[in-house]
Amino acid sequence: MIRLGTAGRARGLVLVERSPLRRADPRTKLALSLCASLAVMLPLEKLAAFLGVYALLLLWARLLPTAARQVWRLKWVLLILFVADWLLVDLDLAVIITLRLILLSGTFALFFATTTPAELRLALEWMRVPHRYAFSVSLAFQSVGLLDDEWRAIREAQHARGAWSQPKGWRELPARVRDLVALSVPAVVLTTKRAWSMTEAAYARGFDSPQRRPYRQLALGRLDWFLLAGTAAVAAILILWR
Amino acid sequence: MPSVVSTREAAYRYPQCDYGMAPLSLEIGRGEQWLISGPSGCGKSTLARCLTGLIPHLYHGVLEGEVWLDGLRTTDAPLWQLAERAGLVFQNPAAQMLAHSVEEEIVFGLENLGLPRDTIAQRVEETLAHFGLEAMRGRPPQTLSGGEQQKLALASIIARQPPVLVLDEPLSMLDSTAAAELVDQLAALSGAGRAAVVCEHREEYLHAIPGLRTLRLDGPMPYPAVRPHLWTGHAERNEASRDGATGTFLLEPNPSPLRQAPGGRLEAKGLSVSLGGRPVLRDLSFALEAGQVVAVVGRNGAGKTTLLRALAGLQKHEGSVTCGGARPDFGLVYQNAELQLFNASVREEILFRVPEPDMERYTWLLAALGLARYEQTPPLLLSEGEKKRVALATVLMRRPRHGVLLDEPSLGQDAAHKAMLVRLARELAGAGQIVILTTHDLTLAAQADRLLLLASDGFVAEGVPAQVLHDGAAWARLGLLVPEWVLAPHPAAFSNCPQAGAEARP
Repeated sequence: MIRLGTAGRARGLVLVERSPLRRADPRTKLALSLCASLAVMLPLEKLAAFLGVYALLLLWARLLPTAARQVWRLKWVLLILFVADWLLVDLDLAVIITLRLILLSGTFALFFATTTPAELRLALEWMRVPHRYAFSVSLAFQSVGLLDDEWRAIREAQHARGAWSQPKGWRELPARVRDLVALSVPAVVLTTKRAWSMTEAAYARGFDSPQRRPYRQLALGRLDWFLLAGTAAVAAILILWR
Repeated sequence: MPSVVSTREAAYRYPQCDYGMAPLSLEIGRGEQWLISGPSGCGKSTLARCLTGLIPHLYHGVLEGEVWLDGLRTTDAPLWQLAERAGLVFQNPAAQMLAHSVEEEIVFGLENLGLPRDTIAQRVEETLAHFGLEAMRGRPPQTLSGGEQQKLALASIIARQPPVLVLDEPLSMLDSTAAAELVDQLAALSGAGRAAVVCEHREEYLHAIPGLRTLRLDGPMPYPAVRPHLWTGHAERNEASRDGATGTFLLEPNPSPLRQAPGGRLEAKGLSVSLGGRPVLRDLSFALEAGQVVAVVGRNGAGKTTLLRALAGLQKHEGSVTCGGARPDFGLVYQNAELQLFNASVREEILFRVPEPDMERYTWLLAALGLARYEQTPPLLLSEGEKKRVALATVLMRRPRHGVLLDEPSLGQDAAHKAMLVRLARELAGAGQIVILTTHDLTLAAQADRLLLLASDGFVAEGVPAQVLHDGAAWARLGLLVPEWVLAPHPAAFSNCPQAGAEARP
């Protein structure tokens, strides 16, 4: 029995509607994320302390499980890097590199689990990114969850036609590589076709119109000002604390 | 009546191909409703793109002649101006969703018109109310059913109020109720003074639109001719198939090499599947004898595909599924056959990893599925219907012991090719295999030996199609309409090793 998902069910980062950060302006969350990313400059002890504080923020924002899942997805990358750094350099470097990646992953989760593609687009446009690029980035962000789904659907579909063997052992490595190619071709084709369909759909609704007027407007609320003040304070501490 | 769309000897050829759309002159007046029909590959989708300006602005082939849209020549006007005059609804609604919520999907097109915010807000509310989408305004479009997505695609175009609406096979993925609802919406457009051009295979539904005009395209011959040595029949009949209306595409291939030992009775007991905590199939128990064609019909989202995946052993489930007392061995052809194709030619695709391939069977399959002329063509360059037939050939070449499972096999197939599939299904059943197909196409379902109606809480009816189709209570419980033309007396040829032409009834 092969345990695979149903095509079309998004598996990417899910929007956490109950998070208080969901109500915050995307620019605030961008500032918060950038500030947290600054902490990668800290030495080991201070980085560990900052991570503790950051975990409290995620706890308040009800994002700790989401961030933990995000880190768990990277477990193999983290493990390989940790072992390689430890063997090739030393344990301190292995720990600090791992903690930095965990921090960046948590930062990613904080922003993308509380921001819709449309909000991301507005934030990018506010930063003077041209509309066509901001739209493309937001669309790509929206489609990320589908990629994992499509990969699984393709694998399952090829099992269904009996095209996939179940090779075991190193001797079957060439067969495994061939299977990977077999998976990649439809994945590339599907992704390209989806991108093209979306391009057609966007242009068919006047995407390139010079008279476009955005419907939604960004506005900073009380929560945003509070968070921005805290972010500025933390950024100052991080810079002075190094 | 002044023309809102005018084509003058317009023809299109795709880059690096010698086919596309044959020269066409057409005048469409305001408020007129047009059906464009014709066999697969005749250029319906190409025409839709020409009429809306996507050709030549996004496609860089050769456009000859002229296309005028509400006073603008499509080669001269920018695409955004053409988009204000003609909206295009595509075949696959899921592929045209651009926003993360239903409301934002409608807003997207209105923002591009440069409308003031209060006008956008007003149009969004009116559109949501008109299409009955208010309750789902915050939902991601990807979570809607196929019918709801198609309704949203139409709503997001109608909200822009273009004088012309072009729809490319809008009914192909819809169940009969959703299709009838969409046709009602289209009929209402005429009263609003909007012209509509609908390119569609399932044209029977559209005859409910008052004053509908029909244009049948023959289209250019897209590929090299059939190799005559593959056939024992009459080569001239192949030309007759080009209009699709006759349905006489099939020549007579050599006698079937599909014979194999009968696979045995399929038995499912207490079959249940949950996806993401949501029960999709609940405690299904049924038995199917070998040697029959079985159609499963249900609304979008009823669990038809999940049932096929469970029978194919691809879906974790509760309960048992056996065939002749053993684990079932079915080949499954997906609704989106592209997922199953990856080789450089149709030949390589069909023969991929088949140990000691039976070349007689291979040649027979090419002929029976109308693929002989595409033998060296990359499968992913074929039309949707052709890709499905290649995927079916790959599955059959593997000789699944118990039969094949076909998910929406008629999608993208014209009448002639549907008839071809029916004939092959008959051959397989005759060879002792079980063929189970899921479909929204009730004319196809009517030709099965057995028809199962699947609702969210299980099967609501099963039996021979002639009986089940007349079981009004079961269809009402399912929430599906049975159009009158499906209930009309059926040609007997299909129930007794049919000939292809029978599909082309009105």
